[in-house]
Order: sequence, then C-alpha cells, then structure tokens
Amino acid sequence: MSKEWIKYPLHLIVHPFNGYWDLKYDRSQRFNLIISFTVLFLLAVTNILSSQYSGFLVNLFNPNEMNSFLEVVYVVVPILFWCVANWSLTTLMDGEGKFVEIFTSTCFALIPLVVVNFPWIWLSNVISMQETAFYYFSNSVAVIWFMFLLFVGNMTVHQFTPSKTIGILILTVVAMGFMAFISLLFFSLVQQIIAFISVIYQEIVMRS
Amino acid sequence: MLRRIRRGRASLLIALCCILGASLGGTLVQAEDGTAASYNYSFWGDTVASPAAYQATALLSGPDLGVGPFKEPNDIHVTKDKQIYVLDSGNNRIVILDERFKPVATIDSFDRDGQADKFQNPQGLFVTEEKHVIVADTGNKRVVHLDQHIKLVKIVEAPESELLQAHFQFQPVRVVMDEAQRIYAMATGIFDGFMEFNADGAFTSFIGANRVYVDPVEYLWKRLSTRAQRSQMVMFTPTEFTNLDIDDEGFIYATNGDLWGDNIKKLNAQGNDILRRTGYFNPQGDVRYTPEAGPSRLVDIDVADSEMYSVLDSKRGRVFTYSGDGHFMYVFGGIGNQLGEFNTPAAIERVGDDFLVLDKALGEITVFQTTAYGRTLNEAVRSYYSGEEEEAFQLFNQTINMNANLEFAYAGIGKSLLRQGDYDEAMKHFKRSMDQPNYSKAFLLFRKQVMREHFATIMTVIVVLAACALLLRNYRKTSVRKRGVSIEQRVD
Repeated sequence: MSKEWIKYPLHLIVHPFNGYWDLKYDRSQRFNLIISFTVLFLLAVTNILSSQYSGFLVNLFNPNEMNSFLEVVYVVVPILFWCVANWSLTTLMDGEGKFVEIFTSTCFALIPLVVVNFPWIWLSNVISMQETAFYYFSNSVAVIWFMFLLFVGNMTVHQFTPSKTIGILILTVVAMGFMAFISLLFFSLVQQIIAFISVIYQEIVMRS
Repeated sequence: MLRRIRRGRASLLIALCCILGASLGGTLVQAEDGTAASYNYSFWGDTVASPAAYQATALLSGPDLGVGPFKEPNDIHVTKDKQIYVLDSGNNRIVILDERFKPVATIDSFDRDGQADKFQNPQGLFVTEEKHVIVADTGNKRVVHLDQHIKLVKIVEAPESELLQAHFQFQPVRVVMDEAQRIYAMATGIFDGFMEFNADGAFTSFIGANRVYVDPVEYLWKRLSTRAQRSQMVMFTPTEFTNLDIDDEGFIYATNGDLWGDNIKKLNAQGNDILRRTGYFNPQGDVRYTPEAGPSRLVDIDVADSEMYSVLDSKRGRVFTYSGDGHFMYVFGGIGNQLGEFNTPAAIERVGDDFLVLDKALGEITVFQTTAYGRTLNEAVRSYYSGEEEEAFQLFNQTINMNANLEFAYAGIGKSLLRQGDYDEAMKHFKRSMDQPNYSKAFLLFRKQVMREHFATIMTVIVVLAACALLLRNYRKTSVRKRGVSIEQRVD
C-alpha cells in the first residue's frame, strides 16, 4: 500500500484516461484527498524554493519582495476559485462530478508542475545562458501537460464530450473573472460599511 | 557617598555632552556636504543613497568677474585649453574667461565688410578646437562664424530649399560644428531634426528627426470628428530638440523635450540613434518621480572624454552624468537658494573634471568640483573605457568601498577578475551587479575549470558507482535464485 501513494499519482499523469477513471470510480475519497493536499503543499513549496534558490540566470528576484505566505496564497486561491467556478457551471450543465472530485482531479493535474519544476530549481544553478532554453522549454512542457491533464480530468469527472469540456473550461475562466470581481466588490462594500459605522461611533463619542 | 554622587553626575554630564556633540556633529556634516540631492538607482528601480560626487565651490557673477552683470546668459562653452566662453544674450556679447575665471576678452561686435556688425539676442554658442566661434544669432536670423581672431569667416543666412516651407522663419538657437566644418543648427519651429550646413554655409539636409508620438485616445477622437473639427485640433508633430553637443568623433549628442521614450540621443552622420543603453535604465534623468511633477526636462547635454556625458534637467535643476555604456554615475544640483542650487539652469559645461552650471535668471555660474568619491569614480570609468583592466579593478574597488550601492562598479570588477582567471569571484561580482550575460560567461569558464580539475574524481566515482550497481544486481539475482520463488512474491 505504501508504494501506492507515489505510484498511483505518477501512473495517473502518464495514463490520464485510465487514471482519472480510477480516481472517480475505484479509489477511496480519503486517499485522493490526502494526495491532493500533498500535491498542493508540494507545489507551494516548489514555488517558494524556486523563487529563492533558482539559478541567477533564470530567476531575477527581488529578495525584498519575497513572501512565502503570498506564494502559498498564489497556489491555493486560484485552485479554489477554479474549483468553485467549475462546480457552479457544471452543476447547471449536467456535469456528473461532485465538488470533491473536481478538486482532486484539479490537484492531480498539478503534479507535472511539481515533478518537472522541482529538479530544475537545482539544475538551473548549473546551466549557462544558452542552456536556459532547456529550462524554459521544460517549463512550458509542464504547463501544457498540466492543461492537458486538467482537460482530461474534467472530461472524465463530468462525463462530458471533448468539445463540451473545452467550452466548460473556457467558461470556467470567465466565471473566475466574475467571481474575482464580485468578491472585490463585496470586500470594498464591507470596508465602506465598517468605515461608516466607525465614523458614526466616533461622532457619537465626541459629542457626548 | 557624596563623591560617588558627584562622580555619577560627572559621568552624566559627559554622556550628555557626548549626545549633544553627536547630534550637532551630525547636522554639521549634513550641512557641510549638502548631499540631499545625491542618489543612485538600484537595479530594482529603488532610489539608493550615494555619496556626493560633486560639491559646489564657487559662484561667479558678472560683477565679481569685472565684466559687468550678465543679462540672461544662454550658453556657455569651454575649449580644450579650458578657456570659458559665456554667451551673454541680454547684453549681446560673448565674454571669454581663462581657467582661473579671469576675463580675457569680450566680443560684442565683429567686422563685416568694413562695418561693425552686432549680435541681436544670440542664443547658442560653439567654439571649435581651432577656437573658431560659431554664434546662433537668433534675433538677426543667421549663424555667424568667426575665426580665432574674431574675423568674420562666413554668415549663414536663412536657407532656400525645397525641403523648407514657404513661410519658413530661420531662428537658430543652438549650433555645433564638426571637424569638417559642417554646421549643425537647431532652429525653433523645426520638427524635422537638425539643419545641416556644409563648409560653404549652404543648407544640405535635415538629420535625426524625432519620431511622432500619437496618443491613442487623441487618435480615436480625431477619427470620429469631422474635417472642420479636425483642423481645430492639435496636430501630431514630432517634438523639437532642446539642445545638442558634438564629441571628438563627430557624433551629435542631443536632448529633446519628450515625456516618453528616449530623450537623449546620439546621432551618427545618417541621423540614426546609436546611444548605448546597457545600464539598468535608459538614460533619461530621473527614473522615479511623482505623476504631478513628471519626468525630467532635459535642456542641455555635455559630452566629456571616455564617452561620459552629462545632461541638465531644468525642472529639478539636477545634473545627471552617465558613462558611455549608459550607466548612471552620479547626480548633483537642485532648485533652491543655497550654493549649489539654481533658479533657472540653462547650460552646463565641463572644465576638465569640474562642472560649470549657468543660471539664466540670476546670471550666475556655479562651479562644481569633484569630491574624492567623484574623482575615483571618474578615473575608474576612464580606465575601464580605455581598457586598463588592472587600474580599473583598483579604482572600482575603491569606489565600492565608498559606495557599496554602486551596482555597475561590481561588473567592472568582475570583468577584470574574469581576465585574471578568478572565475568564482567574478561570478559573485556579476551577480551583485545583476549582469546575467557576463555571469553566464564566467560561469561557463568556471564550470569548465571545475570539470577539468576534478575530472579524475568524477570519473572514478561514476565508474565505482556503476560497478557497485552491477555487483548489487548480480548479487540480488543470485540470492533470489538461491532462496527461491516464495521470497519474490513477498517482496512485491
């Protein structure tokens, strides 16, 4: 069983159709969730380490702006937004996936980003400027791989046709934009209300 | 007991004096070197502290020099032998000073066909190496060329050419002359670049026009409006140049009043911009400014040796100096009433390593001299430019001892370390100056060196590892065979 923790995710990213089928119908939810959170954690760690330790030639990073907490936020918040937006859309459009399944499938799709980028943190320290092409190439490969997995994952989880999946993915991005806008609006309104209340309080205190 | 109290008091008193003295000393130091305006920009665009490279040492006004007050002087020029020519526009004269600021001569008229001819509100002045004097005689709409004995050589009047518009008014405001005696004039109301005149004074062409900048919003409105409305709108015209200077090789350095893009240019004979911009920021004056104040407005440029050049920002009264590679070296000056600050700075000129800044409204010249830091930095950039690696290495090291924030100096050190073969140190220095291409060069050499040195070890380790792996595999196979199939099942 212990080998499964590593073997299964790695199997999934190279055999996504079978892998995601297993994820939806065969594997236990607890097992999937544990792996998902581990992947999220590892991705955050990879991002933090790469902004700190990547080679000078590929990483011009102002140490004054280094913030590990924000790096974690940059990983978690978009994933959460994506899952919520995707879930909201697919429940309306006959998707079969539950929220947990959407979340786990998305997290599993992030594995290439960790697997490819993590070794490059160290490798990028021993390459010259001409060789940075390999670095950027494998970065793009990781991103394309990630998008492909996201596509297959969504398709399998919701049991959609490929064309419908592509449509849903694009709509999800649009929905994320809407959500960001609404939450900004919400926060600024709350801020205004709080300011209003505190001003009234001040006035009352001053007058009495 | 009493003694102890007394001693305590005494120590208290000493401590108090110390604190007072320290604070006094601190303010004194600040007042003395007046470094408020000295700064540099880091790779990340932050303003970082920097010691003052120049210090105002004297203020020269007309009466002090014994030539009567200057009235709206517009231009200043210094020859190779450090004679200073001041163009006193309001008094229609040129005052010549020697390097100790003693008046040598005054030119207020010249002989033209037996008659004395005078200037009328001249704006621009240039003196060639043979001490020929070229004056942009703006009020008389001509350029006057005098030789070293103030004899008239030629007068360039309003040219006639198909390139010019019918109602063209020739108002030259700045002039330079190259070694082939070609005159380049900057005239008001001309958007096509500098006017080039050949040695005979005939107009040949325009060179180096600025590009037109089209505001997208403005452009949209223009598209939407009728022709009658359009004729009332502002035209899209290229910006005018604000000043020019020429270096020993005949390249023209020019500044313009652009609020965007490159406001400093180095023009070759074809009018192409060939200024090297390899610094952290393009040479442009201030990089950080408030939106209300806006970017620097450059009104004068002066080229020194080793491709160093300085520009004058009339908005904030600052003088910025850049190396030939486009690295920002130092800044000084400011708007104000103290020594070393100006009211309306109009022109700068370099006398050796010293600077002269001409204030138009006050009719005064401020003299700036280098500090130890400025001298070292100047010398470092010079020796780096002329390829004296060893000396540049020493000088740059001295500079960063005085100013650790001077990032481009580390690259200078790195390059000489690279020549010396100290690749590891070179890499560290290039990293500090954020110089990726050179870092990569140093790194490649370093990697090769390490590989060569440790080739034997690396190969041995690889061979041993391979042998071990082989042995282990063999061992496993045999042991599995010995123990039988049951173990294999348990393993999986």
